[in-house]
Amino acid sequence: MKLFTYSLAALLAFSFSVASQAANIYAGESKAAAVCSQCHGIRKTSAEAPFPPLAGRDEAYLESALKQYRDKTRVSEIMNNIAGSLSDRDINNIASYYSRLKP
Amino acid sequence: MELKITTLKKSILATSISVLFTSANAYAAADDSHKMHQLYQDNCASCHGSDHGGYLAPALNSETLKGRSPTALRTLIMTGSFETLMPPFFGRLSDNDIRDMVKHLQSTPKLANPAFTIKDMKASLKVYVKDESKLPNKPTFKIDSMDDIIGVAARGKYGRGDGSEAVFINSKTHQQIGVVPTVTAAHIIEFSPANERWAYVKTDTAEIYKVDLYTMQAVRSIKTGWNGPGIGISRDGKYLMAGSFVPHNAVILDAETLEPLKQFELEGIDPDGNMVSSDSGMIIGTPYADIFAIALENAGQVWVVDLKDDFPVTKIKNVGRHLHDAFLTHKGKKLMIASYDDSIVAAIDLEKREIIKKLPAGCVPHVGGGAAVKVDGRTLGFGTNFGTCDKTVVSVWDLDTMELVKQVPVSGGTESPAAHANAPYVAVDIITKDRRARTIQLIDKKSLEVVKTLDVGGHAYFPEYSADGKSLYVSAGYAGDEVVVYDSTSLQKTGSIQMESPAGIFSRGRVKYMTRGLSPDEME
Repeated sequence: MKLFTYSLAALLAFSFSVASQAANIYAGESKAAAVCSQCHGIRKTSAEAPFPPLAGRDEAYLESALKQYRDKTRVSEIMNNIAGSLSDRDINNIASYYSRLKP
Repeated sequence: MELKITTLKKSILATSISVLFTSANAYAAADDSHKMHQLYQDNCASCHGSDHGGYLAPALNSETLKGRSPTALRTLIMTGSFETLMPPFFGRLSDNDIRDMVKHLQSTPKLANPAFTIKDMKASLKVYVKDESKLPNKPTFKIDSMDDIIGVAARGKYGRGDGSEAVFINSKTHQQIGVVPTVTAAHIIEFSPANERWAYVKTDTAEIYKVDLYTMQAVRSIKTGWNGPGIGISRDGKYLMAGSFVPHNAVILDAETLEPLKQFELEGIDPDGNMVSSDSGMIIGTPYADIFAIALENAGQVWVVDLKDDFPVTKIKNVGRHLHDAFLTHKGKKLMIASYDDSIVAAIDLEKREIIKKLPAGCVPHVGGGAAVKVDGRTLGFGTNFGTCDKTVVSVWDLDTMELVKQVPVSGGTESPAAHANAPYVAVDIITKDRRARTIQLIDKKSLEVVKTLDVGGHAYFPEYSADGKSLYVSAGYAGDEVVVYDSTSLQKTGSIQMESPAGIFSRGRVKYMTRGLSPDEME
């Protein structure tokens, strides 16, 4: 019984994590298309643009940078505004999406 | 007394300081206005018009921006506008320049039609390859047929600079074979019907590049105006005709040397009886005769120019209000031309030089390159339209009887149809500015119903079939930054070519079948 409970919990946790990860990337894709890609592009930025590319960057770095912009410990007029509109979940999704994209 | 003198001195000092300030301010203001004018020309004019009168993008002048919040305009310039081609200027222009630009735009009236003369054109001619006879006499890359070449007008995010180029692709392998950089966004690519090695690329800012497809390089270029995409080539490949929005004129060029031969002032009496100066709409050469047809957008006239003597003009009047683009049918003897403001497509007989009929065409018809297909003995023409209206449809006409056959309901406004004799579907791009803009819809040639919707990603537009009809190419523009390729029957994705903000797609096969969807056999 105990074993059963444990495995059910594990199964639930596993299926949940698979489902949430899949949802993450798609949600991240649409958020990235709507919010980030205007400046940062999808795979790369414009040859003429002064913005850093995001595709293939480290996931943890993207996440921490976005959170710093959001709480204004990292200062940029435009990024403080844009990151200010993002939830924790959005930031997770975006970081997860961009980090998995090949530049 | 002392006090008085001091006061006097002070006041003299104050006056002289204020004089100094005034003149410095006046000087600074003049300098600023000159600087802002230049900044506008260098960053904004290629889309918004050199005359501030609008072009691919809205007019920006004291009239159109009256009452708009300067803060909102500043934000728009900084971040760009989603779902449009407007890029973010944050980091490209300083914050002060952006603020000054808003002031400049809100205080500048639309400029009078600025001149661009034959002399200006001649002065702009650049020769990159002096002796064309020394170029290799066959392609420097592997390709079965030059008709397999597809050219894509890559705009580049900023409509200029490193991302702006004409990209050429082998439509059998879906691999890029060459890139020709352009000063501003490439807009239209025309292929010579007479010699497979030459193509002509026209930019938003009216430069024309003569491109050698065998070596994938520009050999010459000339600037023919300030803004305007219109360009056509004669059936013998000897002449080009180019038309401008700014200023209101058109020019015939020698296609070999790009030397300008004759300039035309575009003006005439519109269908409402007013004498107007006019933008140049479409310009088209036809396989049927040595002529060009050119649309005078605002004058509502189509001019037929004979390629002989001093290039005499026959004017066909009262064609429609605000003419735009067109396609040919019946071996090039008939021209179907879109009229935005009366929501009709006018059929013109180029042989008799008269209007045959005006056909209903949905709201604000924009036929793109047009499409025509033969089904069960009938020749059907397809017309897209991009107006905001209650029902969005693609119009289908019988081009023999010039009757409306059906208006096929589609999910949004459309800009360009594609068809091919060997492909089962007519593709149309949905451009309504929401998620639908990512899609194209496929209309079955026989049932005339939408049978499939493809989500291309990015802003999907300008579908085009490869010359063999086996592949469907679509630009995923704006943020998509790729051209996506589908198998034209299974509709499975078979390729992707990366480039910055791709727009118009032009198959060299077009010179064979005249209008997309017709069979080359029809032409013989």
